[in-house]
Amino acid sequence: MFGQNVEIRTINLNSVRERNEVDVFLQKQDLILERDVEYTLAMYDEDRIVGTGSISGNVLKCIAIDPEYQGGGFSNKIISLLLNEQYYRGNTHLFIFTKPRNKKLFLDLGFYEITSVDNYVTLLENDPRGLRDFTENLKLQKHEGKVVSSIVMNCNPFTLGHRHLIETASKNSDVVHIFVVWEDRSVFPNEVRYKLIKAGVKHLDNVYVHRGKDYIISNSTFPSYFLKEKNAIVKIHTMLDVKIFGEFIAPALGINRRYVGEEKSDPVTNEYNLTMKELLKDYNIEVVEIPRIKNNEAAISASRVRELLRTDDFESLKQLVPQTTFEFLISDEAKTIIGNIKNDKK
Amino acid sequence: MEIKKVGVAGTVESSDINIVIEPSDKKGIEIELQSTVMKQFGRQIKNLIEETLKSEGVESAVVRATDKGAIDFVIKARALTALYRAAEINEYSWEA
Repeated sequence: MFGQNVEIRTINLNSVRERNEVDVFLQKQDLILERDVEYTLAMYDEDRIVGTGSISGNVLKCIAIDPEYQGGGFSNKIISLLLNEQYYRGNTHLFIFTKPRNKKLFLDLGFYEITSVDNYVTLLENDPRGLRDFTENLKLQKHEGKVVSSIVMNCNPFTLGHRHLIETASKNSDVVHIFVVWEDRSVFPNEVRYKLIKAGVKHLDNVYVHRGKDYIISNSTFPSYFLKEKNAIVKIHTMLDVKIFGEFIAPALGINRRYVGEEKSDPVTNEYNLTMKELLKDYNIEVVEIPRIKNNEAAISASRVRELLRTDDFESLKQLVPQTTFEFLISDEAKTIIGNIKNDKK
Repeated sequence: MEIKKVGVAGTVESSDINIVIEPSDKKGIEIELQSTVMKQFGRQIKNLIEETLKSEGVESAVVRATDKGAIDFVIKARALTALYRAAEINEYSWEA
């Protein structure tokens, strides 16, 4: 019988050879095995890979089945195994990025569509109440005002530059909602970044800080999926992120302005800002870019702070971060984080 | 029976059902079902899950189920297993 020798195995991600095999298979389907995968399954017929799927954080990704083997229930099998692995890991709220033409497959497997960007990407989640609960919860934190602004930030860690951006927004708005990017791929863990922002804006009584869980899509979650359209990745990612923001988050809080830090030196962020400016017009949200503040001729940035931490230059550091962040950086709690920065070879 | 954490059982393969049971802050059992035979058996599947949980003394829970045409015994078994996992119970009273 066709496909009776099919067998599913866990890939040893430390093995370059095994990774390569999966990658070669995925490339035939216009995908790649992304670097950040934490767990990968492959389906073999004899010694040939005919299907695969992976996990990264709360996302299922890099899923593909050889066209010859489609329709035999193999994808359901792979997804089932990935779901079980996720639940075993304690991740119950899951997401999938896929091409709109493939979304039907996942809609039949307990996933629900959040939104799509044209023919490029569809984002799905496995909880029909996920986004609804998130926005319902936001509505409870709504504050009336003529100008309601929002800033999405990572703050790795919170600097005087970030504070300047928030203060400017605060001064020119009735209400400011800050979303902290929740994904944990920065050296400073999300709760620490959140805590430092909160401490640093205590003096501003119209500023509210939110955990930007799940629906604020950082570029590290976004798959580099679209092999053929590599240059378009930033653009498509921005379109998806902005669409969710404009369609669901902004209306829940009545947001009509978004502040961003000017980023002329970083082409990716600059492209992101430009695209966002264009797209948010459709939702009647104005985008305001704030130039960076400088210290000794160089813009204050979190990456500069991390650089100084590497060399234990606390004197220079003091000029770049608020007192609250500085106190954290010299505390015992920060020791492991600083250790990680030093160990990182980049 | 109290739901302490998320409990899962089953798969999304043909003739099976995947059931996720989560704690809820509301009273009552809320069921979100997706099924290949929604039109024919949707209500029956929901009722069966609800009855199964109620018979174990569950008063409050959120259930997400993805059905691929499972028969009643399978649905009941998956519901019980997910429930026992969610309630962190290791002693089962399996009976017909």
